Order: sequence, then structure tokens, then C-alpha cells
Amino acid sequence: MTQFAQAAAYGVVQGGLLALVAVGFSLVWGIMNVINLSHGAFAVMGAYIAWLLNQHFGLDPFLAIPIVAVAMFAFGYVVQRGLINLVVNAPIFLTLLLTFGLSLVILNILQLLFTADDRTIDTSYASQSFVIGTVNVPYGRLGAFFLAIVITFALAALMTRTRLGHAIGATGMDRGAARLMGIRARHIYAVTFGIATALAGVAGTMIATVGSFNPTTTPGQLTLDAFVISVLGGLGNMYGALVGGLLLGIAESIGGLLLTGTWVNAIAMAVLIVTLIIRPSGLIGKAQYGGRVEV
Amino acid sequence: MSVSSPAGALAAILQGRKRTGREIVVDWARSRTLANSWPALAGLAVVALLLGLQQLIEPGTMRLLSAVFMFVALAQAWNIIGGYTGYASFGQVVFFGLGAYVTAVLMNNYHVSFWVAMPAAIFGGVLFAVLIGVPLLRLRGHYFAIATLGAAEGAREVINNMTPITGGGLGITIPTFGDQAPTAYFGKPGFYVAFLILAAASIAISAVLARSRFGYAMVAVHEDEAAASSVGINTTIVKVIAFGVSGAIVACAGAFYAFQQIEFYPTDVFDPSFTVLMVIMVVIGGSGSIVGPLAGAVGLELLSQFLRVNLGIYNQLIFGAIIVVVVIFFPQGVVNFFRDVLTTRRFSLLENVRRYRL
Amino acid sequence: MIAQPQTATNPILEVRNLSRRFGGLWALRDVSFSVSEGQIVGVIGQNGAGKTTLINVITGHLRPTSGQVLIGGQDVTGQHPWVIAHDQVARTFQIVKPFRGVTVRENVAIGAMHGNYHDRTVRDALATADELLALVGIEKHAHDAPSQLSVADARRLELAKALASRPKLLFLDEVMAGLRSAEIATAVELIHRLRDSGITIVAVEHVMKAIVSISDLILVLHHGSTLAMGPPAQILSDERVIEAYLGHRYKRAPTS
Repeated sequence: MTQFAQAAAYGVVQGGLLALVAVGFSLVWGIMNVINLSHGAFAVMGAYIAWLLNQHFGLDPFLAIPIVAVAMFAFGYVVQRGLINLVVNAPIFLTLLLTFGLSLVILNILQLLFTADDRTIDTSYASQSFVIGTVNVPYGRLGAFFLAIVITFALAALMTRTRLGHAIGATGMDRGAARLMGIRARHIYAVTFGIATALAGVAGTMIATVGSFNPTTTPGQLTLDAFVISVLGGLGNMYGALVGGLLLGIAESIGGLLLTGTWVNAIAMAVLIVTLIIRPSGLIGKAQYGGRVEV
Repeated sequence: MSVSSPAGALAAILQGRKRTGREIVVDWARSRTLANSWPALAGLAVVALLLGLQQLIEPGTMRLLSAVFMFVALAQAWNIIGGYTGYASFGQVVFFGLGAYVTAVLMNNYHVSFWVAMPAAIFGGVLFAVLIGVPLLRLRGHYFAIATLGAAEGAREVINNMTPITGGGLGITIPTFGDQAPTAYFGKPGFYVAFLILAAASIAISAVLARSRFGYAMVAVHEDEAAASSVGINTTIVKVIAFGVSGAIVACAGAFYAFQQIEFYPTDVFDPSFTVLMVIMVVIGGSGSIVGPLAGAVGLELLSQFLRVNLGIYNQLIFGAIIVVVVIFFPQGVVNFFRDVLTTRRFSLLENVRRYRL
Repeated sequence: MIAQPQTATNPILEVRNLSRRFGGLWALRDVSFSVSEGQIVGVIGQNGAGKTTLINVITGHLRPTSGQVLIGGQDVTGQHPWVIAHDQVARTFQIVKPFRGVTVRENVAIGAMHGNYHDRTVRDALATADELLALVGIEKHAHDAPSQLSVADARRLELAKALASRPKLLFLDEVMAGLRSAEIATAVELIHRLRDSGITIVAVEHVMKAIVSISDLILVLHHGSTLAMGPPAQILSDERVIEAYLGHRYKRAPTS
């Protein structure tokens, strides 16, 4: 039973982190109808930035977060404006290919610079645990979890209470109409993409703190997780991404306890497919932007 | 506007034409001229040439060409479901892996001859296509792409976990020595011919489909399913058949590949980069035609080998950069671009870049 | 108050208590009527009265919430659109849906090769397409892309596509919208010729002058229910119809 409780607790905090990875991905997909296959690569980029700051300046990763966020936002803005924008109106597989090519470029550069070795950011506190009864949760993970929650709520608030958020939402719902009202769609798209990229970078930083990462296997796994969570939670739905992340985290954790081998992954895939068939607009949330079915 | 045709003319149209099968065949034979037959003749000539060259080329080149032929087949297969019918599958590799494993399991565990295992693999591919096609082909665009990707990943995991049958993560080996081997190993020349025939067959299938009533049905489904269903096209059947044909070709390629490699792991044959390569080849070449995917497959595979040999560690990086450049400058495909240049006499890459941008 | 002419025992189309709900909104509520072979029935009503929904439900693009659709006496309720198409039913779409990647000629040929009594070869279908293009009057655009057609010509293409599947029952969804006076006259003539060659027609329309001149019967829909059905003269002078849809100008001058 304690094993179960431990797995559940672990699943919850892991879920928060996964949600952070997914929320940006879901936003871009919901607003711009772009599936960014290089999302995982962005996360790993953020991880490397934080790692470098830690290696050379001893900067604590939580303190590095603002720097990572700003740097990645700028990067994302430029990438969208200069590259992704060129295929925004194209058939789906073109954006998928473009982002795939981009990820190849980014990850190979990272690999050439840093080798494929696993890296991690060591902090003095990350491995110490917070204990309730027989369950212990490492402080690092707990911190990441709370950060994820805060960021998700902040993002939701941004979307619903600020002018920028409304502009983003409007552009997502009807780009033509939004433009007619004076919203600069290209800029809005770039800002949206920048936010998503920044969030990916922050998520990467957190992953580096609580575990390890590399430029070969980590990005793909993260992108796949982001997919599943986005579908579960509904595209563009911030709270949905959070709930989806928690569900996936708990399911994987408890699943890992009960099932051997990589059946867990197979089940995650099955859940993904079934959700798409039954409720493409999301298991939990109503997709904010209509679970847009491509025409 | 000319409204001079009497109602009788329409009444005649409404009754339909009565044609016997024999009439149709005779008509077709009579309609064959050099102008519309030359592609088929040229194709046959090329195949004959390549078969003949077999004696002259060295093993390394033979291996390279075998890979090119395999990708020609894969690209044509993807084009059928993704290009013509418009359902861009991002999990086509699932058929490749299934074909490979059905072949390997039958030959290894049950000592079945390759000539039985391969048709079984194809049949398995078609079966699986129907099984997942019926639910998944209801999804569109992005959702279909992800669902098929999920299916591929899921299938790999399942095979990975069926260790008693498939060897799981430890891989599987096809016996090729002495009397353990159900079929003698083909060797490089054998696989050269095998993949060449598969490539030729895939091109032939594509060509026949494209010009047939079914081909038009695929295009109609791609363009507008509601309008297509209104004129009597059973969109579900069309999608499933296209998916099935595509899956069959890919499964056959997987079967040959398995035998060629002899030993492999789930991650080898369910590698998503196979799908990516299929898609890129079709996109770069130009979807919706025969020549496009053909050019894309040949060009890209040769390029890929060249990069791997000459640029070593940088090859994936350059490959990624090339993908980005081609998608931006030739979104409709290189072949289609040059075709348009020839018809409109306007060469403007910049216009191309602007085509899909916001 | 719904006047039905003496129908044959097997009307070509029979709609019984058809209802369709979208969430809380009843787009169609208990609609019943029948159409005899060879008739031209006009359907009028406000925007949102349920006219296009009616066509969508009958032709299988939407499932009814309740009720039945019978074509030629056979229950086809809830069947797929292609099954109903093969019962010799065709329709045009209010916003035209050409197949964009192929020529005008091929657009029509697609219908000819997949519809009823379909042409078994592509070449035959293209020949049929040529005949139909001449019939509707756009043969000079045969090799053009659909996007190059004017609104009126695009409507003709839509009609030719529908005819290519060789229907006996044809639904026209606002084919006159946006046409000039001369174009409307030509369209009316064409519709009469369609009926003369044996096609039963149900036409949804807003253009009153056209509807009045082609219809044997007019069905009036109001908020998803049948308000009235009968010959044009009767409908035009029906108080409820005037109240709900026509306006009093029509009471004074019914054929302006």
C-alpha cells in the first residue's frame, strides 16, 4: 500500500511537470493549428542553458528560470516570425515536416556542442525529501510541481484577463475577423509561439533539476508526452493540460508499478487513440478553440 | 448560354450507357497510341535495363540501389493514402514493422518458407489496415496523423513486450544457414532484383489507380468528402482500400527488409524516421503524381547516402537543414514546381515562399 | 390546412414527422409531406427556418433526431449519403463544392462514373461530362479550373455534377441566389427542362418570382415546422405565410 501511495505521490508531482511541458505545445496547436515537433528540442535547449549557467556561474536552476524564459521567448518569437510563419497556411504535413527538420538541426547542433551524454543539474536540496508518513517527495520535484501549477494558473489568467490574452484568443478563434479589428496577427502568433517556447525551456530546466536529459532520447519522449496530454486536455486549454498532465503522470507511475516492461507506453498510445476517436475535443476539458477538425 | 439541347438529350443521359466488358477492353486497346503509352514502355525499358545492369555493378552500388528501390516503393505507397486521398499518415512504418515481424516470426518460429511468409506479411498488413483504418479514417488532418503515429508507437511497444514470440527487446533472427534456413538467402543480387520488382510494382499500381475511377474517387475524397458522398462515392470504402493498398506495399517492403537484414530489433523496423523519410520524399518530389514521389525517393536516398559517407557526423544536421529549405522554397514539391515553371513560364522562388505564409 | 394534391400510392419522396435537434434548438420539428414523381416542389421560409437542414437530413448528411424518410416507398432514414445517392437522389450545395484539383470536365465526370448507371470507364464518363456541360451551358470552360468560374457558372457546374449521378429526385439549394434577372430566367427554363426529362425537383429558394413560376407546390417552413403547403396561388394569399415570411406587398402583387 505504501508503494501505491508513493507511486501516486510521485505521479502527481511528475504530472505537474509533464503539464508544464505540454501547456505551451497545446497553446500553439490550439491557437495557430501548428503541431510543433521541435517542442521537445526547445525544452532540451532550455535545459542546456540552465545547465551552462549552473556550470559556469553556479546559478541555481530556479533562479536561472527567468533568464531561460526570456532567452527562449526571444528565440521562439524569431523562429515563428522568420520560419514557421511561412507555412502557417499550408497543409498539415508541411508544418510537421518543417518542425521536424528544425528539431533535427537543433538537436544535432546540441549534440555536436555537448555530446550525447546524459546531463543533470545538481543542487544541494533537490535530493532531500519532504516526508509525509511513508511517502517521500524530493524537494526538487516538489518545487517543480508548484512552479508548474503557478505558471499554468498565471497563463490562464493572462489569457482571460489581459488585452494580450484576449488578442491571442481572438486570433485563435477567427484570424480574419481579428485582423479586421486591428489585431496584428503575425505579431500575436509570434508572441504565442514565444510564450510556448519559453514555457518549454522552463520545463526543460525543471527536468534537468529533478532528473537527467540528453539530446537524443529526451526530446522525442517529451514531444510525445505533450501530444498525449494536449489531446486529453483539449487543444489550447490550459487547465486541461494541467489535468491531462496529472492523469498521465499518475497513470504512468501506477502503471509502472503494476505492469512490467513498456506496456505503459503501449497503454498511453491506446488511450490517445481512443480519445481521438471518441472525443477529439479532449477527455476533460472542452477544447477552447473548437478541437478544430481540419478541412 | 446555349439551352438548345432538348429534354430528350438529358433523358438519354439519365438512362446511362450500356457497355459490355468486352466492349470496354476493345475500346481501351484501340485507344492506345504512342502518345499515351510511352510512359509504360519507358518504364519497362528502365526496369529491363536495371535488371541487365545487375551483372555489371559492384556490390556496394547494388546495396545502395536496393535501398533506393525500397524507398521508391515506400514513397509511392505513402502517396496513395497521403498524396491522392489526402490522409497524411504519420505512422505508415507500422506496416513495415508488422511485415518484418510476421515474416521473421513465421520463418524463425515455424520454419516457413519466405515465399509463404511474404504473402502472409502482405495479408497481415491489409488486415491491420482495415482494422485500424475503419476507426481512424474518420479522423482528419492533424488528428489522423497523430492517431496513426500513436498506432505505430503502440504496435512497437506491443511487439517489444511479446518476448516469447518475437524476442522482444532482444531482437529476432531469421535462420539463413544450412538446413535451418527455410529459404536460401537471396544475397545482394537477389535483394536487388526483389526490391526492383517491388518498386516497379508499386509504380505500376499507382499508375493504374491514378487513372482509374478509383483514382478519381480518391481525389474527390481528398477535396471534399461531402460532395464526394453526394455523387455516390462510398468514402469509407475508398479510404480503407487506399490505406490497405498502401499498407500492403509497405508490409511487403518490410518483409524483404527483414529477410535482408536477417537480424533486427523492434526499434529498427518501427523507426518513425522511416515514415518521416516517406513523407519527405513525397513532399519534396511533389505529391499527387507518380513522378514526384519517384524523383523524391531517388534524389533523397542518394543524397542521404552521400551525406552519410562524406559528412559523417554532420549528416543529420545537413539533412534537417535541407528539409527546412525544401519545405520553405518548394512546398508543392520540386517536380510540381518545375512543371509549373514550364507551363506558366515564370520562375519565382520568392513567390513560392510567399504562397503559404501569413 | 395543408393541401395535398391527390398523390399516387407511391410518392417518390415521403417525409414523416421528421425532427432534428441541435442541442436545445429544434431545426426541424415534426415535418411531414410527400412529393409525387414529376412534381416541382418549392421550399421557402426565413433564414434559419430549417430548409438546408431538411435537405441534409433527407440526403443522409445528417441523422434525424426522429422521423422517417422514404424514397420510392423504401425507408432510407439515417443511411449514408452515398447509399441515398444510389437511390437516384442528388443535390446541389448552397455554397458550391467543386473538386478543386481537377478540371470542370473531370468534376462532372466524377459524378458520372460513380453515380447511378455509372459509366464504367473514365473515357465514357468524360464523354457524359461533355454532354452535361453543353446542357447547362458551360462547355467552353470544360478544361478550366473550377476556381476560374463566375458565380453563375459555378452554380451550373454544381448542377451538372448533380445531374451526372443520374438522379430521379433532385434537391436544389438556393441555386438562384445572387443571379441577375436574365440568368434567373435561363435557370427557370433549365429547371423546366429537367422536369420534362423525368426528374422530380425540390427547390429551396428565396427568389420568389422564380419559385412561383416553377413550382407545382410550395412548402413553407417556419422555425423548423411546416406552416403551409399547397399550390403557389394559395400560398401567396395565405395570411400566416404573409405574416411570417412574404410581407404584405405580396398580397397586393403576387407576381412582381
